[in-house]
Amino acid sequence: MCDTCGCSHEHNHKETKTIDLNQSLLKSNEEAAASNRKHFDEEGIFAINLISSPGSGKTTLLEKTIDALKEKINIGVLEGDIETELDAERIRKKGVPAVQITTGGACHLDSLLVHKAFHSLEHQLNGRKLDILFIENVGNLVCPSFFDLGEHLRVVLISVPEGHDKPVKYPKAIRTSQVLVISKTDLLPHFDFDMEKIKKDALSLNPSLTIFEVSAKTGDGMQEWIEFFKKHLLSHE
Amino acid sequence: MHEVSIALGMIEELMRIGRENNAKKITHVKLRIGRMSGIVTDSLIFAFDAVKLEHPLLSSAVISIEEVPLVYECNKCNKKFEIENFTFPSCPFCGSFGLKIISGEEQHIEKVEVEV
Repeated sequence: MCDTCGCSHEHNHKETKTIDLNQSLLKSNEEAAASNRKHFDEEGIFAINLISSPGSGKTTLLEKTIDALKEKINIGVLEGDIETELDAERIRKKGVPAVQITTGGACHLDSLLVHKAFHSLEHQLNGRKLDILFIENVGNLVCPSFFDLGEHLRVVLISVPEGHDKPVKYPKAIRTSQVLVISKTDLLPHFDFDMEKIKKDALSLNPSLTIFEVSAKTGDGMQEWIEFFKKHLLSHE
Repeated sequence: MHEVSIALGMIEELMRIGRENNAKKITHVKLRIGRMSGIVTDSLIFAFDAVKLEHPLLSSAVISIEEVPLVYECNKCNKKFEIENFTFPSCPFCGSFGLKIISGEEQHIEKVEVEV
């Protein structure tokens, strides 16, 4: 006999409930990102998330950007990689505090990793305030675009050797970024790279995208990129 | 392979929701995933099914997914239309290229069914 209702046969009296959520699948990351952003805002820090495929020139662009800005602006860097301290060492050589985040296999940073790494960076600063925090993501044009880190600006790099078809192949990276840097433009004579097409495609995907053509090696286009930063920094203050 | 990270975050969140609602079991999770969200639904389910076994509250949960089509709205004539892929449609009504995506990028948990 059924214990619950006293009827003569066994059956299950399971009470079920439907909970309407309609919330993001990435809620836990987004909450931690919002808390990072709030912390950056309180500290007056402008945070930039740099994403790209491996080898597009994120670290080199960062080195040159640091050279151009560091006299007047306090910069800190979080370096994301699967393994090694190599990139953080490159940045420290520029006299800028840097913390390496090694994910040990994960192909993107998330907001909790950034939270922890930022606290380590704060220890290095000994109370000195930052104006800009650069977060260099793990080299990958797919996964990082899903994870808000609490940044104010997402910059995606596509280098000339990668080809002009990258925006249409990796639309989410373009859709979620505010700036596209087309890097290694000194290599244009050696590649069949259609500059007009990449810009047109990128702008179709994201009409408000700001696009720079830069060669960190020769310095071509660096001026515009640096001016953009100075302007952004002023408006952020 | 961002689907594993997404599944892990989702499981953490579902455990929280389960506890908050005093659930004995979570039986069903309904997701809404946009055609252009960039989430591979098979990979997400694969990752979820692999990890859920570690959590008694979730071990029998089944995921169902509603795929949301990619819908554009024309900035010029304000008409809406559905399209199969991202790459650069023009408005089929007026030919304009000024379009905005109004659905198709969703990555939502819509609802959860639990046993209490």
